[in-house]
Amino acid sequence: MLQTDASITERIQAYAGAIAMVAVATLIGLWIAPRWGTAPVDMIYLPAVLAAAALWGLGPGLAAGLAAAVAYNFFFTEPLHTLQMYHVTDIVTVVILLIVALVTSQLAAGIRSQAQLAASHAARNATIAGFAGRLLSSSSETEIAETACAELHRLFGSNAMLVSGLPQPDLIAAMPVGNRLTPSDIAAAALTLESGEPAGRGTSRLQPAEWVFYPVRSGSAVIAAAGLARDDGVPPVAEEQIPLLDNLLDQLALALERARADSDRREVGSLRERDRLRSALLSSVGHDLRTPLTAIIGAAAELRRARANDPELLATIESEAGKLERYISNLLDMARIEAGAVKLKTECVDLVDAVAAALKDLRQGLASREVGVDLPADLPLVRADPQLLHHCLINLIDNAARYSGADGPIWIAANAVRGDVKLTIEDRGPGLPVDRERALDVFTRLEGSDRRGGAGLGLAIVKGFAEAMGASVTAGNRKDGQGAAFSLCFPKALVVSERVDAG
Amino acid sequence: MPARPPKILVVDDEPQIRTLLRATLGRAGYAIAEAANAREALSAKSIDKPDLILLDLGLPDRDGLELITALRAEPRSALIVVSARDQTEQKVAALDLGADDYVTKPFDTEELLARVRASLRQRLASESERQVIEAGAVSIDLLSRIVRRDGVDVHVTPKEWDLLAELAKHPGRVLTHENLLRTVWGPAHLGQTEYLRVAIRALRQKLEAEPSQPRLIVNEPGVGYRLIAG
Repeated sequence: MLQTDASITERIQAYAGAIAMVAVATLIGLWIAPRWGTAPVDMIYLPAVLAAAALWGLGPGLAAGLAAAVAYNFFFTEPLHTLQMYHVTDIVTVVILLIVALVTSQLAAGIRSQAQLAASHAARNATIAGFAGRLLSSSSETEIAETACAELHRLFGSNAMLVSGLPQPDLIAAMPVGNRLTPSDIAAAALTLESGEPAGRGTSRLQPAEWVFYPVRSGSAVIAAAGLARDDGVPPVAEEQIPLLDNLLDQLALALERARADSDRREVGSLRERDRLRSALLSSVGHDLRTPLTAIIGAAAELRRARANDPELLATIESEAGKLERYISNLLDMARIEAGAVKLKTECVDLVDAVAAALKDLRQGLASREVGVDLPADLPLVRADPQLLHHCLINLIDNAARYSGADGPIWIAANAVRGDVKLTIEDRGPGLPVDRERALDVFTRLEGSDRRGGAGLGLAIVKGFAEAMGASVTAGNRKDGQGAAFSLCFPKALVVSERVDAG
Repeated sequence: MPARPPKILVVDDEPQIRTLLRATLGRAGYAIAEAANAREALSAKSIDKPDLILLDLGLPDRDGLELITALRAEPRSALIVVSARDQTEQKVAALDLGADDYVTKPFDTEELLARVRASLRQRLASESERQVIEAGAVSIDLLSRIVRRDGVDVHVTPKEWDLLAELAKHPGRVLTHENLLRTVWGPAHLGQTEYLRVAIRALRQKLEAEPSQPRLIVNEPGVGYRLIAG
């Protein structure tokens, strides 16, 4: 009702404006006529009629034309101050004024309605573009569905939901959250998904439903159904808004398609990665298990045959068996990482404890090697899983020993930098090739060194465990260029910053 | 060696592990009894009355953890569990149930013998005999509450003393983090390992020759602390 009131007021104002323009033209005419005669006066009315018709359309334009004709007739034609006309030219003038009003207002009305159409097109395109843009910023299918429902809710002022799946459609998202579906709504949704036609309230199909469902089509397939319903039962989408809705749902279909394609691609990628890993694992098992086993079997046989107590052979058996045990540990760890079965049991850890425990477990392999440890007394505690950290350190130190030459020293140091805590293990080996990230890749062995077994696997485990704990690993070279440096970095969030007063 | 050598019951279902332990422990002068499963273990416990039991937690007929309480019953035996690597929770559970210590498979025989000695010493010695504990250059007098390093008195705070004394009462044995937190700080501080870390660090600063490479108070990741005596 309010709207009609407003438009009536607007109409009245338009007519009043038209009459006012004619009045102004008349006043100008009355000023001109005594000076230069009545001949130019009819021209004075033309702009008034043109303007009224152009501004307000046909009705006010014609009113202005009529008023102009009457005023001209009354004020400027003989006999003056009557509505009679003696001269044919005067009659022609009046008729021309009317024709001008008619033609101009038609033209102007056409232009105006075109402008309005263009504006509404622009608004609709902006709506569609905005909708598409918001969908684009969501990545997963559920996120897209949630965004779409929120947008439909906003644009149409109605409840919105998205369902998919046959024969029993499932709710993907709804706005407001927590909308319930009656069996007839579910049937309507299923019908839409099946037939690709709207169904539910207000359509020719399944009247008892409270919701009306529209198909979300991708090519010929219906990939989802968008349900709309208003709490007051009014049809949620007016007839003239249907094309807009169709457009929006097309955008939604595109976005959903994109999300599905993305997740498919990711899955293929991870399958391929796993496949690569599996074949790398198999070839590694062959090499890394067989080499120490060959040494052990050979040494034991030699000892038995010679009945000798050869310390060198005994040491070989011991160290090779140690390698086997570490390799098997790593295989199991890798399997845990691969299976996503790494369970975190985080506690407050002193890196002094962690380094000491790792060095103790590696003491046989390190033997007489020089290991420098520089852990400042005020090094902050960190939050970590002690067991995972232990395996990270064992692998990093073992790796350093492996590449540091027979008796090359290893240096372990930690410090706090801008709130982070960084633990670095340096060796005196050949250093890393340019492609450093690859050093942490599964099974990649460092360039320029022969296969000394297990190193790539160990570093991959370090990376996997560190990331599981929220820490990160970086690989680089020592500042002096004489060896590699691997760092385990605990970000600020994992560093215990508050002072603990243990009493 | 005492007049009667201490008797050790080895409970493991793998014959080759029993063979290895028989050889290692036998050579170290211990008397050995063996059991291949939980049933045999329980009967050996009552017949052989071992001084110490080496219990593998992965037995075929019963969960090793369930067996701990039964094997700890009178007459009291020391008990060391043998567990697989990475079963930190199982180790802690075993210690909480009353096991004296644990070793991880594959174990280093030297380390196994050290554990066995520590657990037997604890069982055989009465409290009063162990008034002064020596650990490297450090001596801890439990009665007069004095800590000396190279013969010089070292000042420790009351909490640090409580912690050090608790470790010194069980030389060579691992005490779980929770156990230490409960004893020293009280049950309200369970789970707050940061208290323990800070106090241990303070003790190391005072007692260790090289505090960043501790030799006296060592940590078992995720399990607890041990005072290396001797």
